[in-house]
Amino acid sequence: MTSRIRSAALVAASLALPLSACGGSSEAEPASGADAPSGPWSFTDGSGEEVTLDETPTRIIAHAGAARALMSFGIEPVAIYADESVDSDPNLRDLDLDGIEIIGEEWGKIDVEKAASLRPDLIVADWWPAEEAHSGVENGVEATSKKIAELAPMVGATQGESILALAEGYEDLAKSLGADVDDAEIAADKERFEEVRAEFEEVATSRDDLSVYAMSPYEDKVYVANPEFAPELLDFIAWGLDLKAPETPDPDFPYWETLSMENADKYQPDLILWDDRDDLDNVAELNADYGEQQPTWFSIKAAEAGAVASWPAFWLHTYGDYADQLEQLTEAIRDADGTVGD
Amino acid sequence: MGTESRRRAPLLAAGLVALLALVVALAFVSLTQGSRDIAFADAMRALLTLQAGDTMDGTVTLELRVPRTILGILVGAALGLAGAVLQGVTRNPLADPGIMGINAGAALFVVVAIAWLGITHVQGYVWFGMAGALVATVIVYTIASMGREGATPVKLALAGVAVTAGFASVTSAVMVTRTDVLDQIRFWQVGSLAGRYEPVVLGVAPFLLLGTVAALACGRTLNGLALGEDTARGLGIDVRRARWATFAVVTVLAGAATAACGPIVFVGLVIPHVARFVCGPDYRWILPYSLALGPVVLLLADVVGRLVARPGEVQVGVLLCVLGAPAFIAVVRWGRLAEL
Repeated sequence: MTSRIRSAALVAASLALPLSACGGSSEAEPASGADAPSGPWSFTDGSGEEVTLDETPTRIIAHAGAARALMSFGIEPVAIYADESVDSDPNLRDLDLDGIEIIGEEWGKIDVEKAASLRPDLIVADWWPAEEAHSGVENGVEATSKKIAELAPMVGATQGESILALAEGYEDLAKSLGADVDDAEIAADKERFEEVRAEFEEVATSRDDLSVYAMSPYEDKVYVANPEFAPELLDFIAWGLDLKAPETPDPDFPYWETLSMENADKYQPDLILWDDRDDLDNVAELNADYGEQQPTWFSIKAAEAGAVASWPAFWLHTYGDYADQLEQLTEAIRDADGTVGD
Repeated sequence: MGTESRRRAPLLAAGLVALLALVVALAFVSLTQGSRDIAFADAMRALLTLQAGDTMDGTVTLELRVPRTILGILVGAALGLAGAVLQGVTRNPLADPGIMGINAGAALFVVVAIAWLGITHVQGYVWFGMAGALVATVIVYTIASMGREGATPVKLALAGVAVTAGFASVTSAVMVTRTDVLDQIRFWQVGSLAGRYEPVVLGVAPFLLLGTVAALACGRTLNGLALGEDTARGLGIDVRRARWATFAVVTVLAGAATAACGPIVFVGLVIPHVARFVCGPDYRWILPYSLALGPVVLLLADVVGRLVARPGEVQVGVLLCVLGAPAFIAVVRWGRLAEL
């Protein structure tokens, strides 16, 4: 039961990442930093539906992850709704949020009244194919939150099988909104990502001796990720990493296989990807702490050896973040000892 | 306490011995069965030598199952006894430690520990749980003691409800605004024997043992109180002091149990009724029967929870909720819900 709660919480958190970048301060001044092209505008949403407007939208409300993506291309929303506190949301760190209204800091809760007062002409949030909904209006959110979809058309890239595709989707969207995606500064992130990705692929492909599992150790359960439902894990696999799926994902919630602490050692990877979205870039300490609390955690030899790397679970949206994370992961894979889990 | 009870004494004593044997048997099952398949010989080797032998099976047996089983016995006994004592002293058949504000107090302090003191696991916040239980019951007792008659059962129940409501509203206020806290406290609030290892057991065991001994000594006093305040006085019982002392015992027992495992329902409420159904009204029998029946129920539910959802587990608190409601209805429906 608790495992379901945790899993639900994880998924909720993962689903909650779309940022609604609602760019609207007060009067007619567009919040968008780019020069919006005039004339009819259209964009094909993650759901496959084509949305068409007479004018290019300038007053955008975005969910946190989508906001990060848009802002990386210089498109500034008028408002953002997040699924957690602005201080802890990995997608809002290091962003200049001056002049942007925050209309939600908890999953499922959006201040739609405030959103309406900003007169948005577009809502941007990830599309979740499994739930057939955009972030912020999935099943389970507060009924009033869903009304945000009535303020303006809702579009976003899809959280399907690839974070790269998601990032590309937001690039397309930003372009349609007038962003100069070829601007040297903006394009630099993408170029860096391409380089890092190529190197990741080279290193990952060369390490076919390495077996890897993604895990989310939490309280007295170990949740082993099913990559089928984690776009960034599917990317890693596509780029050559031998990331394994658990044998028996929980039937009612196949995002994970839940292991009790008695069975923590069921899988013996050489490298553990640790779901660190609550505490970024701190996996070594998380692993040590968890091992101290849980007598059986270090029965996973990789955990005992400290062979853990950060798994940017369910929050990546931009080329820049993806490049950073991939770079770390590439190093971890290069340095990993392929015999630890044998 | 008349001739009938004296005639039944050998029978009741035999029953008690059988129950204690059942506790031992269940403890053995709890040590050797679980969500992990461990060969019987390996489990026994670990138990007899007390060496994990650097194997996962040994570690699971000694570091996971031993503390879990000890905690199951101690907490089961504590909740059973606390319920029996509380129902006796308040003469309220629906009394369980929850109505004294113990759960609410423990929950509030645990929430505070998580939200503002950055304490993130059960080893750390068990102490806050105990402190919260203590604070809540002291407030309840103080409020109930005001006025001439002192802490009468009715005033205690009312004060308990009021304090519970007050504490719970603060707890909710924190949880509504802090989802990170909500996410964490769910694990404590569901009630579980899992994830509590040696430090927790060693921490609460002295309180539970002390409380258990003290509770077993309350039989004669509770028998007196059951006859009504005036009669009890006539028998030479200092009613105020008796109430105060029995309350202290319940606070220690239920507070330590709740702090360690989260609020576990059903055991404290139903076990005393089952004991009363078997033993009749004599608390000198009800108390030891509650002591033995509590661990039987808790261990049984925990073992079942560990076996039904392999390789995961179902928390004992969840299982008791599912099993507890029908069981309680059965007790009310068919049992002679003894007048208290």
